[in-house]
Parts: sequence; structure tokens; C-alpha cells
Amino acid sequence: MAEAVAGRIAPDRAAVHSWLQAYGVYVGVGVLLLFNVAFTDHFLSAENFRTQAVQVAPILIVALGMALAIGSEGIDLSVGSVMALSTSLVALYLGYGPWVALLATVLGGIAIGLVNGSLVAFVGVQPIVATLALMVGGRGLALVLVPQLEDVRDPGMRALGSGDLLGVPYPVLIALALVLLVGFAVRRTTFGRQLLAIGDSRPAARLAGLPVRRVLLCVYVASGALAAVAGFLATARLQASDPTSLGSLMELSAITAVVVGGTPLSGGRVRVGGTVAGAVLIQLLTATLIKHDLPPSWTQIAQAAVIVLAVYAARERGKR
Amino acid sequence: MKPLARRLTAATALLTALALASGCAKSEDEAGKPTSGAGSEGGGQVAAEPTKGAKTCTVGRYGGEKLDLSKATVGFSQSEKEANPFRIAETASIRAEAEKRGVKLLTANAQSQFSKQISDVQDLISKGADLLVIAPLNSDGWEPVLKQAASKNVPIVTVDRQINATACKDYVSFIGSDFVQQGRRAADQMIKATGGKGKVAILLGTPGNNVTTERTKGFRDRIKKKAPELDVVFQQTGEFAREKGQQVTEQLIQSKPDIDGIYAENDEMGLGAVNALKSAGRKAGDVKIVTVDGTRNAVQGVVDKWIHGVIESNPRFGPLAFSTLDDFTSGKKVGQSIVIKDGAYTPANAERDLSKAF
Repeated sequence: MAEAVAGRIAPDRAAVHSWLQAYGVYVGVGVLLLFNVAFTDHFLSAENFRTQAVQVAPILIVALGMALAIGSEGIDLSVGSVMALSTSLVALYLGYGPWVALLATVLGGIAIGLVNGSLVAFVGVQPIVATLALMVGGRGLALVLVPQLEDVRDPGMRALGSGDLLGVPYPVLIALALVLLVGFAVRRTTFGRQLLAIGDSRPAARLAGLPVRRVLLCVYVASGALAAVAGFLATARLQASDPTSLGSLMELSAITAVVVGGTPLSGGRVRVGGTVAGAVLIQLLTATLIKHDLPPSWTQIAQAAVIVLAVYAARERGKR
Repeated sequence: MKPLARRLTAATALLTALALASGCAKSEDEAGKPTSGAGSEGGGQVAAEPTKGAKTCTVGRYGGEKLDLSKATVGFSQSEKEANPFRIAETASIRAEAEKRGVKLLTANAQSQFSKQISDVQDLISKGADLLVIAPLNSDGWEPVLKQAASKNVPIVTVDRQINATACKDYVSFIGSDFVQQGRRAADQMIKATGGKGKVAILLGTPGNNVTTERTKGFRDRIKKKAPELDVVFQQTGEFAREKGQQVTEQLIQSKPDIDGIYAENDEMGLGAVNALKSAGRKAGDVKIVTVDGTRNAVQGVVDKWIHGVIESNPRFGPLAFSTLDDFTSGKKVGQSIVIKDGAYTPANAERDLSKAF
């Protein structure tokens, strides 16, 4: 806030834009909340906030992994397909119980992450190309494993999808725990610092003797594992394994959340809090348009407008 | 890590994934799984009564020769992956009928890529198909293939979607459902369920799809005409998917808790709506849900009282497609546009007819 006040006193364009890039997302969330409180029926209710929180949880979890990838000056397009693969693995392994199914999905996510990470770190393939391959192939594999939607009747899965602890739904609790974990990893660990250094300048990081390849491998493994958890939770909530449509276009939602949240695509910085706010912003935007029954195409246009605004703010900052 | 080991990391990871995928999988209640999509069981299609003066086609007018279907080779080009109950049941039905009649069948699946479907059809012709059954992915873009088929005198019947070409010239006939009529019949069920009063919501299919447009048009027009006191207060896309249907319904019941009915343009979105109502603590029958398709899960929903009614969109094209081809090749008249008679599932017949669902 101090920066904002300073910006207003001395109208420095660059400073304003820089502030907007970092904190604009919170303003956006605030504006949408106020709008809904004023104009949307039944918005201020515990059930409504619960619905929004449960719906945003998978987007948020995927976006955390995406933030790490983008922070390392990379990107992970395969996250939606990892979700599809994990929903298939749930169907295949649920016979052993939900915990084994969760383990299988996370291992599947890690395996995809290892492929992505190896291609990026050791083979030197551009992240956008490496992960594009698995974005296409991952969903294909998921459909080979489970060719059509299968119902999930396990009571344990059902409880995970719709149960809660002290009034907070499990998917939301898990998402919050992962936010804290990723936030801690970025800010307080060597891994986090190395990741940011690599994202800032890979040659410099290499010259400084940082374990560039190992860190990059870890980044994509983390992104894969997080997307797998998101796929598991989405499956639990849907009470069905649906590899055809589960997680489709998730990569775009996640990238939007990260970029709108103020993490620059040029790497070297990861805003975990901003990513949370970015995911919430997308969710509120979608919810607002649906609740007011606006044509679905408007949701896409509105999302595009938000992205353009975010990128505009980033551009001004880059110029400074 | 040694350089070789590094390069092998990717391969190892992929192998791990495959091992995970296939090795020792154990899915939930494998024996108890409903075997959906079998083509032989359940009702094959029946054509609706042809309207008077409906256009017909004969082998003489189309240009071609009579032949004996039982000795012919039929090519079937499917549009989409057999990943949903409709496509599974459709392909299974064609296969079952070919087997029953002892006809040699060649099949291809375009995997939702139109360019692949064009080359699929060309392949089928060059592999010696005498007759073709096509489930078209698109309506347009068929001219090159139709020309090729015409030059070899291969009669074509299209199923479930129509193509933009001239019947009895570019192709013989089209067999399919009337999607507008399905919308109308869904509206009738909704009017009955709600008493013609109150607020209803529509879960639309994928935007820009002709099935969506026609199922919406039929429903809205009928409501406007027959139940002006029934308001459509909400209309959002669920993209024909269960997850989207569930998410949209969750938003709907938060902002309009007094909604009386939901019309879902396919079963999957309707099942998503049921999920949403269940997790919001609503009771079965609180909100009247009417869906279109007739999959086993949805009809089970009618039995369980969560869904009020299901309008059938019958995917079992096999018997009707082959009897049309048989009539045509033996010189009889066939309709240029054969609209099939779709059934319906209501609380009155759902339990008895559950086995007919696909």
C-alpha cells in the first residue's frame, strides 16, 4: 500500500504499473467481491463461498506447479493431460482403496514430470515443445487406459470429494496445505533460491555452479505431482473417472492464474500469494458471469481481457 | 549421473508410467460393472411413420446396379472415438447387424479429425467396399469423396448427422433422430413435471454444435407455446460433459435456489446436475431434471427418482441402416430422410425398460 500512496503523490507511470502487476490481482478480486455482494442474489452465504472454494481448488493446485515452471523461465503445458492420466489411474487402482489410488496417481504425475524435466534439463528441448508432446500424448494414454467414463463409487473417494473438516472441505484444506508447502519451498529453501536464480539467468546460474539440471528436473516433477493431486481431487468430486474431458484446457486456466497473479513469464520470480489470488480471480469471474446468466462466450472474452490487462502491466514494468 | 544414464531417465520414467498403467491394476468392482453399449440387446431403431409425399430414392434413380447385400462388403466410417456410450453403442450395433446378416464389414474411426474421415472413406472405397455407412463428423466438405464414390457407384447412407449434399444424387439417404423434436418432447416432460409453472434452467451442449442449437430451439419454442408461465431463467453451457454440468449447476443453485427444473441437453450434464444437487443436500425430485440420450446411468437416475425423465436418442443404427441398404440394393424404394422413432424413459417405465438403455 505504501507504494501505491507514493505512486499517487508522485505520478510515476512505471511505478504505478509495477504496483499494478504485483497487486492488481488483489484489487481485481476485491472489485469482483464487492460487485457480487451488491448485485448477485444469495452471494453472501457460507454455501456459496464453499462452492467457489471447492471449484477453485484444482485450478489452484495446478497453478502452483505452473508458477514453479514459469518461475524457472519454463512452462508446463502437460498439466491438463496429467489430470486426465490421474483420473484414469484412479479408475484402475481404486480396487486397492483410495490411498493406493492416490499413490498411483502421484507416481503417474511424477513419471510424466520426469519425462518433461529430462527433456528440458538434459536433452535441452524448449519447455513449451517438451511439455506439448506430453499434453497430446498424456491424454491419449489416459484414454487407452480407460476408454470411457467410469463411475467411482468408493465411499472413501466420495467422502474426500464432498466431506469436510471443521466446515472446510477436504479439497480446500489440501489446496491450502500445498500453497503453504510451495510458498515455503520458494521462499525458505535452497531449492527455491536456486530455482529463482535459474529463472533469472540460466547461464549465470550455471557459471555460479548451481545444479541447474537437477533443479529443473525437480520443478517439472513437482508440477506433474501437483497436477496429479488436482486430478485425483477432481475425480473424487465428480465421482467419476472421465479422461475425455477432465482437466481439458486446465493449462490455460493455470497459466492465466499465474500470470495475472504477477509472476512474470520471463522467470526469476514466483508469487505464490498472487497465484492464489489469480486463481480466485478466474473463479470469481466465471462464477459472476454464470450467475448473471451471460452468454458463455463472454466468459472467454472476459478472461482474455484480464490476461491482456495483466500482460500490459508486465510490459510497462519490463520497459522501466 | 553419467551421460547415458541421463538420457535414459526419460525412457525409465515413461516405462514406470506404463508399468503403473498396466502392471497390477485393480479397478473397483470389476464384475459388477454394467456392460453398456452392447449392440444386440436393447431396442434397435424403428423409423417414424413417413409423412405423406416424403421423397424416396431407388437404385435406378441414384444410378447404380442392384446387388445382393449378403454377398456385398459394407464400409462403416465412424466420426468420433468410441469413448462415450452413444458412439460405443452405435458402432456395436452396426457390427452386430453385419454379423447377423453375414455381411463383410470394414470399419474405420476418424478420431474426431475430419481430414482423417475423408481419407478413411477413400480407404474403405479402395479396399473394396460396395456400400458405405457414414457417421459424419461435419456436414460440409464432402464433395471430393462423394464424387469418388459416385464414380465407383458406391451408395452411401449417412447416420446420426446429415451432410450438406443432395439426397438420392450425392448420397442415398440419411437416417437419424429429429433433434428439434427431442427438445419439444423434453419440454413436454418438463411442463408435466412442473405443472407448467415456475422457473427452469437449460444446460446447453457445446456451443456451435447443431445438436445443441436444435435441442434448444425445440425446447424453448414448445415452452413458449404451451406453458407461457414456465420461465427459462438461466441458460449456460455444460459442454456435454458431466464435470461442467456439475460446476454450472452448483453456481445455479446458489444464485437461484428456487429453481424448479433443469433441462440438460445430454445425460452426462444431467448426471452432473444430480451430483451438484446431492452435494448441496437437496432431496431427490426437489428439482425436476429432464435429459436427452438414454444412457444406462441416466435411466438408473430415473429409477432412483433423481431424474424426472429421459428422452431417448437411439444410437442403434445397425438394423435400420442395413434394412435400408437391403431394400435399396434389391430395387425397392427407400426414404431420402428416415427419421427414427425415439423412446422415452419416465418414472412409469424406467425400471422395466432399464435394459433398453445404452
